[in-house]
Amino acid sequence: MKGLTRQQWEELLTAFTGIPEGLPPPDAEEQVPFIEEYLRAGAPELPGAFHASYLLLNVLSLLMKGRPFSRLDPGHREDLLNRLLSSRNPLPRGVATILALPVLTSYYRRPEVASPLGFDSRALKEEAALRVVSRDRSLPPRDDPAEEAGG
Amino acid sequence: MIIPSRDVREDLRRAVDVAIIGSGAGGGPLARELASAGHSVLVVEEGAHFTREDFNLKPAEAYMRMYRDAGQTVTMGLPFILLPLGKTVGGTTTVNSGTALRMFPPVLKKWRMTHGLDELTEEELNLIYGHLEEYLFVKRADPEVAGKVATTFLSGAEKLGLSCGWLPRNAKECEGFGSCVFGCPSGSKQSVDVTFIPDALSFGADVYTCCRAERIEVKGGRAVGISCQFLDEATGKPSGRRLEVEARAVVLAAGAICTPYLLLRQGLANSSGQVGKNLAIHPATQAVALFDEVLGPPRGIPQACYVDEFQGEGIMLEGGTVPPEIHALSLPFAGRRSAELMVKYPNMGMFGGMVSESASCGAVKDTGRRGYRPTIFYLLRGEDVAKAKAAVVLMAEIWFAAGAHRVFTTIAGHYELTGARDLRRLERSRVRVSDFYGMSAYHPLGTCRMGGDPQWSVVKHTCETWDVEGLYICDGSVLPSSPGVNPQLTIMAMAMRCAGFIDERLSAGKPGAGENAPRPEDVAGEPQGD
Repeated sequence: MKGLTRQQWEELLTAFTGIPEGLPPPDAEEQVPFIEEYLRAGAPELPGAFHASYLLLNVLSLLMKGRPFSRLDPGHREDLLNRLLSSRNPLPRGVATILALPVLTSYYRRPEVASPLGFDSRALKEEAALRVVSRDRSLPPRDDPAEEAGG
Repeated sequence: MIIPSRDVREDLRRAVDVAIIGSGAGGGPLARELASAGHSVLVVEEGAHFTREDFNLKPAEAYMRMYRDAGQTVTMGLPFILLPLGKTVGGTTTVNSGTALRMFPPVLKKWRMTHGLDELTEEELNLIYGHLEEYLFVKRADPEVAGKVATTFLSGAEKLGLSCGWLPRNAKECEGFGSCVFGCPSGSKQSVDVTFIPDALSFGADVYTCCRAERIEVKGGRAVGISCQFLDEATGKPSGRRLEVEARAVVLAAGAICTPYLLLRQGLANSSGQVGKNLAIHPATQAVALFDEVLGPPRGIPQACYVDEFQGEGIMLEGGTVPPEIHALSLPFAGRRSAELMVKYPNMGMFGGMVSESASCGAVKDTGRRGYRPTIFYLLRGEDVAKAKAAVVLMAEIWFAAGAHRVFTTIAGHYELTGARDLRRLERSRVRVSDFYGMSAYHPLGTCRMGGDPQWSVVKHTCETWDVEGLYICDGSVLPSSPGVNPQLTIMAMAMRCAGFIDERLSAGKPGAGENAPRPEDVAGEPQGD
């Protein structure tokens, strides 16, 4: 959990995801390693952009709420993120968006979250594996278009 | 055969008739056509090879394995636009929606009139399209398996009297697993990795995977080979092994972003100054609708239907449902607000609208970024902002007509529409370019455009570069502008056409067969592994 402390991660995950009714809560233990892998897999600038966005989130939190993000209560954290996301200024909106991308992905990819929502990738994969799609077609003969085009 | 980088244990040298860089919509058909004509063909592909067994319906994993930069390629400009690019055998066709449309006819007239492409005729293209459609089993999406999101949206469009229908797709016996853009798990989608590439292999072509072409070798003004580096499959970093290929013809088919990047790095084929310029993309936005009834996404065909009422004005609506982890990103809310909506995911439908004829223009540049990465600049112009907004308004109208009680957009200040009143407010509002949240785009084109004038274009109508004999470019970069629809079929058609010209030249022994370029039997190093 480089860059952010465990507590900071937990605050960030919960502030973005909330706790959807009937679904398990965010789990930093499981989600953070994925987030770090996801950031590493992207462009080399992405991990830096993510951590810079977290710093900017704290600056914006100070400016808009008078306290750093970590010292806000959960309701105010959510409120701050929603204000940033709905801003017509692309900078604060971009800060929230860059943070939201891996955070939300890491939560909703979890099978115990996606399955109750109707997306059971394991069951679908098993069903798809049973399909046999034959491919018995070769390219039909054709006149040479290059010849027709005179070239 | 397909030779993965992990099986290469020493530097290799090969000599072939044709070296092709890239195995997507351009490179795949070329490989198949030229190999079947008896030429020795070698393809290098920067990505890895995956099969349906690997396609596990896990979007995030698919992004990390099969997309360039984990699907997070972003354009610089206003707004930032996400431009997902495939990086695997089959190129983006392996991870696209399978929409297989012929180009919008007026565009070809424009190409002939403004780009001097008189040799490109509708009759010739239609002939090739017909053959491709047969080969790729192209047919309209089956309403029985399209899914309730698609049928609901289409019912709304029909209520409004809009021109709409089921999209033609290169899919055979599709059962709607809802995972086209993460690799088809049932083998239904007839992407290049399961069609042209296996055929090319059966005719003797070789495909080296995780192998990045870094240089085109030119001697006496003629392309004579390529120089490549193998990559570690897990890290994407150079493995230390190299591949040197001598060839009688070289085809650059790395896509409209990487093709110009390679040329710019080398300062090649750019006497016109047009390499990397004229980047056209299809900026896209979406509208998510909430219904009382369950629609059951993403099961079905994610992109099954279209509304082309305003195609002539450059707006095309094409559906797109996505799994929860992607869907969550399309809702610009956090915390409780996000959670409340996401638990209603089964009752939600998503549809996409793209600016299919854009006035905006971008560029691909080499700015010295870390790794092997171009920088993409793109600025969405005012008239395209208006088109994107019009697409959102149209989609919202259709969703409401279909019975939605709320529609969520990605335009700041108008994220949630509860009915006609909100819709009218959005219509009347002045939307700025910076108001779009999370805009994405698809189908990069035009960065090595084809034309009749060497001062204004990079390649001739044959796809051969004006500057370097025997160097062909055959991918989306040669299309002078957007074909008005998803371009994969048009890129394939151009590749089929280009293959005819290359075959003609190689068969006639030009240029200089037996002079500088060695024949296949002169192979200096054999591939390792199987």
